[in-house]
Amino acid sequence: MKNSIRQSWAVARVAARSNLAYLGEVASRTFFLAVILFIFLKLWQATYRESASTVLGGLSLNQMLWYLTVTEAIYMSAPRLAQQIDEDVRSGALAVRLLKPISYPLYCLSSALGERIVRFLANFATGAVVTFCLVGPFSCSVEAPIMLLVAVLLAFVLDGLGHLIIGLWAFWLEDTSGLLLIYTRLSMILGGMLIPMELFPDWLKSFVLFLPFPYLIWGPAHLFVHADWLQFAQLVGLQCLYIVVLLAVVNLIYGWALERISAHGG
Amino acid sequence: MLTFCRSIVCSSPKIDPYIPPLTERESALMKPLKNAVETDNLRKVFEIKQGLLRRNAKTVVAVEGISLTVPAGQSVAFIGPNGAGKSTTIKMLTGILKPSSGTASVLGLDPWKQRSKLVRQIGAVFGQRSQLWLHLPPSDSFDLLAEIYGIPKNDYRKRKALLVERFDLGRFLSTPVRKLSLGERMRAEIAASLLHRPQLLLLDEPTIGVDVIARQNLRDLVCEWNREEGVTVFLTSHDTGDIESVADRVIVINHGRVVLDDSLSSVSANTLIEGKSAGLEEIIAHLFNSAASLSMQNCISPS
Repeated sequence: MKNSIRQSWAVARVAARSNLAYLGEVASRTFFLAVILFIFLKLWQATYRESASTVLGGLSLNQMLWYLTVTEAIYMSAPRLAQQIDEDVRSGALAVRLLKPISYPLYCLSSALGERIVRFLANFATGAVVTFCLVGPFSCSVEAPIMLLVAVLLAFVLDGLGHLIIGLWAFWLEDTSGLLLIYTRLSMILGGMLIPMELFPDWLKSFVLFLPFPYLIWGPAHLFVHADWLQFAQLVGLQCLYIVVLLAVVNLIYGWALERISAHGG
Repeated sequence: MLTFCRSIVCSSPKIDPYIPPLTERESALMKPLKNAVETDNLRKVFEIKQGLLRRNAKTVVAVEGISLTVPAGQSVAFIGPNGAGKSTTIKMLTGILKPSSGTASVLGLDPWKQRSKLVRQIGAVFGQRSQLWLHLPPSDSFDLLAEIYGIPKNDYRKRKALLVERFDLGRFLSTPVRKLSLGERMRAEIAASLLHRPQLLLLDEPTIGVDVIARQNLRDLVCEWNREEGVTVFLTSHDTGDIESVADRVIVINHGRVVLDDSLSSVSANTLIEGKSAGLEEIIAHLFNSAASLSMQNCISPS
């Protein structure tokens, strides 16, 4: 266990450093984020005006924009984990990875985490500057950034496991882009990336809360604008529960995948 | 099949002064082995399902009863045409694939039951796949490998210094891998695969695309390491220059069977094709073209 944590930390560190080499990609991504946030501002300004309300779903326009800054920063930091597994399986690079004394899913997950943390920080920093210019400062509580950091890290692990599960189907399907499209769209819509869960119809909200998607995006962003220790504890508990469940699923599918390689060739 | 007759002279491993005291477990793992690889009638059959509605299963025999013994410290060229069963055999020897029948022992371990132990003692270089991070200098990849293999910091520092000196990596150790020439990259790849003192080094087309001078340089480095640390080398290459420079012994497989297993000197000096002496490349091409091992026995004979 200690060994795996050390290995995982080392892989994440190297992946983070490697990702800094893609400065062009980081710059284009952050520019895109600025455009998206500007569009969101105009859309939500119109919505607030039309509804003649200063608060929607418990959020003011200022809070709404800061909420969307966090959700966009999380969503747009998603790594190419499933596609990487696709490529490893198709190209045969998997055999090289299996010759290293580190579990393949752990290697992929750690690498994706390292990459994602760098992307998230770059996205969030840019988004914060843009949002500050558009709607002014956000008076968050002292504990909000700490809660955000913990919740975002757990959300990244949870999302990483989701991507791993999708990616591991490459052992059967060879191309998982279809599955990935469904997964990312579900995260986007049910995860509260575009609209906070507070604005969902009650029946949908109560259904979605049983799924892992809200804890990937909505949970951390909601805590940032409405910091509350009880909600934080609930969120972290649910994230940990889903992490345990998805870890078991990853182990199961990976075991099947290894058997499949053995039966049908690499 | 020709008999493997050349006695292999393996110099005793030269231990550099940097090796820290070994733990009891490490000592057990480092025990001198008589044979690095032993296989007995190794066979692998794949099942391929065809058809959309009626899934007919078709079986393909990839490896058909390979029996090998590779003494520790030997350099073996393991060659064959595309689809001959080389990769499948190597994957079975490294525990990635489980054989349909037969047994194997690699470095005294069962590759399928003790894969995690085994991979700690194997180094691998694949000419067409990199283990180095493209956008980072080789030094960063070395640091990562040290963590993955759990090499103690002090030992790693000294081992890295030794490899940097011997592989002449100093000039480009801090240059991103994507900016290196192929020859420099391959030197860094081989050095990376030796960081954890493997007992078995798998080289798959290590010189592919590399220029003549860099290629010879790589071959010399592999030979030096084989002599000095006694690392067993398992080379797969379509370049006869690699085979002649690095290997003591040549194993040719075709259609999943061993069709030639002999010392390099014996193959080069004593083999006739249709009554005429032939170079290694010609012999290998002849074996690749032959449909089955039995027919090869007829056309190739020792003089």
